[in-house]
Amino acid sequence: MSGASRLRGFLTSVAGLALLFGGWELYVRLADVRRLILPTPSSVFAHLGAEWSFYVPHAVTTLTEAAAGFVAALVIAVVWATAMVHSSAVEKASWPVVVLVQSTPVAALAPVLLIWFGFGPLNKIIIAALFAFVPLVSNALTGLRSLDRDTLEVARSVDASTAEIFWRLRVPQALPALFAAARICVGLALVGAVVGELYGGASGGLGYLARTGQTRGFVDQLWGSIFVLAGIGSVLTLAVVGLERRLLVWHASQD
Amino acid sequence: MIELAQLTKTYGDATSGDAAVPVLEAVDLTIDAGEFVSIIGPSGCGKSTLLRIIGGLLDHSGGSVTVDGDAPDGARRHKRFGLVPQSPALLPWKSVRDNVNLLLDLNSAAGRAPLSPGEVDALLHRVGLAHAADLRPAALSGGMRQRVALARAFALEAPILLMDEPFSSLDELTRADMRYLLLELWEATRSTVVFVTHSIDEAVVLSDRVVVLGGSPGRVQLIETIDLERPRHEGIEDDERFRAHAAAIRAALHSGAAAR
Repeated sequence: MSGASRLRGFLTSVAGLALLFGGWELYVRLADVRRLILPTPSSVFAHLGAEWSFYVPHAVTTLTEAAAGFVAALVIAVVWATAMVHSSAVEKASWPVVVLVQSTPVAALAPVLLIWFGFGPLNKIIIAALFAFVPLVSNALTGLRSLDRDTLEVARSVDASTAEIFWRLRVPQALPALFAAARICVGLALVGAVVGELYGGASGGLGYLARTGQTRGFVDQLWGSIFVLAGIGSVLTLAVVGLERRLLVWHASQD
Repeated sequence: MIELAQLTKTYGDATSGDAAVPVLEAVDLTIDAGEFVSIIGPSGCGKSTLLRIIGGLLDHSGGSVTVDGDAPDGARRHKRFGLVPQSPALLPWKSVRDNVNLLLDLNSAAGRAPLSPGEVDALLHRVGLAHAADLRPAALSGGMRQRVALARAFALEAPILLMDEPFSSLDELTRADMRYLLLELWEATRSTVVFVTHSIDEAVVLSDRVVVLGGSPGRVQLIETIDLERPRHEGIEDDERFRAHAAAIRAALHSGAAAR
């Protein structure tokens, strides 16, 4: 992609955001919407500019929970998918568990995890991991399986070991599918961390701030937390996309 | 030397409840070192299965297979085979240069050491890809990718090359070019080649002998010895003897199809 087309893409994205916030601002002002119902985005940005230091420790808390949950989900998903690729018995035994995790409303588990693990960060990390787990394991399995039969046979024709086939052929081949899941799952892990803070007993974090903002009628705090969460989610997704661009220059998705 | 004696292959396992499907029956064939042998036959007659049994990638059900007196699996462990499958099977994240070295990098304890950049360049020059060493497969045409696959197989300097319809996905003109490129590379090494194809012309142009498989399960219908001088060049298809060999093979294919 040329520099000019990159700049054009960036400006188009900025225009999309400007349209969203501009429309929102205009609607609230013209329709005279009550601040409690919907504040103007400019007032939320002004609040964040003035009170940013208040949000930093809470953002760090939520970000840590989300990152730990995402990494845990990624590691477990890759290890689990690897076992499934190498053993049909493991795969057959695993799918019901994966479907169960997918079908269970994870938010409903938050009180249970609170009983098991107390008020610390662990229950939030587990919830974040549960949110991110299913897309990661599903795509890891698809990716590890995507090595075609001919390539596998070429490797086997020189007696390449299982470890060589895994690390040198299957893992690179799986990266596009893993990154596709990671792009979605960093956001899901963030949602999981916030759900954990909302329902899993918390004394810090952006979910906690949003909840206390709502119950106490602190409109700026409620919306400030939402804006910071949206910002963190966007930065994390962009970071994954950037890493993907760097590592997958060879893949059609980067054309 | 590759020796097949009364070789049979049956897919499925009656003990596990799968229906047994016999694919090859009583195949006797001896391929001498340095010989170029093509296996031709209709789809499903067991050509690719036979190739994979020789290469130690599939077990046989009965009879015997030896490769220079060794079991195919043992020969495979010592990197005595260079496999060129139907698709080029290149790694899309690696450059052409790294793809050429791939089979030397894998199981590197066996076989020769990876080629130096100079050796890779020389090999790529021979297949007409000197300019493409640092490109990735996505930047290459189908014919160029198959040239890389050939270079990868020849880089191994394996005494036996197993080729499973390597040119079947190419257009007719490119396919004709590839035949003569393969012959040029082979003339320099004289490794043993077992070449599976659907194309009668391709089999006759390339081979010392053409084995016609047919029937169900597949049996050897004909072994046609090709008495055309080497090196062979374009235009050989116009030779009267070429047409006679092609006609004999075609007739054997028809009789094999009738036996199915």
